[in-house]
Amino acid sequence: MKLACVVQRYGADIAGGSEAHCRALAERLAGSHAVTVLTSCARDYVTWANAHPAGETVENGVRVVRFPVRRQRHLGHFSDLSDEVFDGPTARERQQAWFAENGPDVPDLLAHLRTHATAYDLVLFWTFRYSPSFFGLPIVADRAVLLPTAEEDRALDLGILEGFFNTPAGYIFLTPEEAALVEARAGGRLRPATTIGMGLDASPASPGSQQALAALGVPPRYVLYLGRVDRNKGCHTLLEYFEEYVAAGGDTTLVLAGPAKIRIPAHPRIRTLGYVPDEARDALISGAQALVVPSPYESLSIVLLEAWNRGVPALVNAQCAVLKGQVRRANGGLHYRSQREFSEGLDFLLRHRAERDQLGLQGLAYVEREYRWPTVLRRVEALLDEVMTARRAREQAEASSTG
Amino acid sequence: MTDSATELRPAVSVDAVMADLQGRVRERLRADLLRHGASPSFADAQLFADVERVLHAGVDSGTSNALLLPELLGDPATWRLETALHLDSHRASAAAAVVTFVKRRLVLPVVRWLFEYNRDNFERQRRVNAVLFACVQELAIETAKLRQEVVPPK
Repeated sequence: MKLACVVQRYGADIAGGSEAHCRALAERLAGSHAVTVLTSCARDYVTWANAHPAGETVENGVRVVRFPVRRQRHLGHFSDLSDEVFDGPTARERQQAWFAENGPDVPDLLAHLRTHATAYDLVLFWTFRYSPSFFGLPIVADRAVLLPTAEEDRALDLGILEGFFNTPAGYIFLTPEEAALVEARAGGRLRPATTIGMGLDASPASPGSQQALAALGVPPRYVLYLGRVDRNKGCHTLLEYFEEYVAAGGDTTLVLAGPAKIRIPAHPRIRTLGYVPDEARDALISGAQALVVPSPYESLSIVLLEAWNRGVPALVNAQCAVLKGQVRRANGGLHYRSQREFSEGLDFLLRHRAERDQLGLQGLAYVEREYRWPTVLRRVEALLDEVMTARRAREQAEASSTG
Repeated sequence: MTDSATELRPAVSVDAVMADLQGRVRERLRADLLRHGASPSFADAQLFADVERVLHAGVDSGTSNALLLPELLGDPATWRLETALHLDSHRASAAAAVVTFVKRRLVLPVVRWLFEYNRDNFERQRRVNAVLFACVQELAIETAKLRQEVVPPK
């Protein structure tokens, strides 16, 4: 098949979750299909400033066509518009303006979809919230497959999305919770659809782990937070809960690995590493007693799957339905919704070594069962075939009715 | 995606561990509340668990749009928190444009930090209101069910 993948940014230097998901899947699909990625020249998701040259390249076997961003995002306007449309029912035009303002504004990409729609058998769109998907998908609705990467946030409440979510010819979700969320907003079941999560390769043993951890000054017993240390990721609450846990006699160290966007208190049991390279990252996950995921909003926690891929259990925020659902399905960790449950859960994981190891192994078994690339690709291929077959049947029916 | 319920029983069941853990947390919370002067009714552990269940149902559905009270309250302008800043003026169009320009371009950039601080707090209040609406709804449902048990509908 000739497939197009539309995504807001693309490249090995892009850290975003949905962008990484798109790149991983596009590279795998390129093994059996002609894949073209249609994206912007942006690297920065805040301003969408042009950073990559416009035009065509081939990256890891995938044809990539980048289109220039016409105007950068004006944060003041976007913030005011967000306040307006999230404040309550607003006109359809204002909601459309929110998607336009959210960007990236790539009119040439939309023009390409208008003029080249039939050059692609199917067009996959990542992330409902950005302009290329919101305005691009309706242009090629008969061959569009949406990966919404939706999470519980106020953008999902926009009334205009009910029609949008009913537009594509097929859907790929990351988790059953995401599917339920989008279906609730769409007002009914969305078909054909599949749920794939994220493909993972088996984790190689990391022989230099101990040296890598010693070089970072990490103590032998620690729980790990991995990712941007940010308020939006629930890190301020994690720090508060952890300080309380230690004050009550808890005996471990919290290691924070990722760029810090909030003030982290100086505390003998909190170790801040900032950004860590991939080798150190792998060693940190493998050596942790448990991974902590405090985010209240996730459509799929890749770091959670990476921890399970190394047999490490997790303690996750139950306020996030996706995280709680993942942990329960995998039997790969515990969840908390309050300070008391956080302390009790962490204490259980630290004091019950056999159960902790078993939860980690159950997480690994879940990854083996659900998230290995052959399994993920089989699901994607089946969905693409189903959408393609339905499209051809529709076209034949239309042709025979007009002929 | 496979449902864990159809899999073999795991060696360690998250649901079983969480049920134990939440039971211990509930008992400690109940003891703490009683020590701080909560209603003596909380001395009944089963009653406390029932109360917690009802309130949890409210908290869990507090973010949904499926609430009855907002419909009954009527005109949203009389009760809904407005967190958006509407910069306009009652003056004639030319003067209004000047006033709006001054507000948006000169005043707002200076006080944006204060506006955002307040907006974040109002957002929290909005969430609390929604949760309270949901808790009231849950309580009303419980009451209605009990009434139906005592006085079956004709």
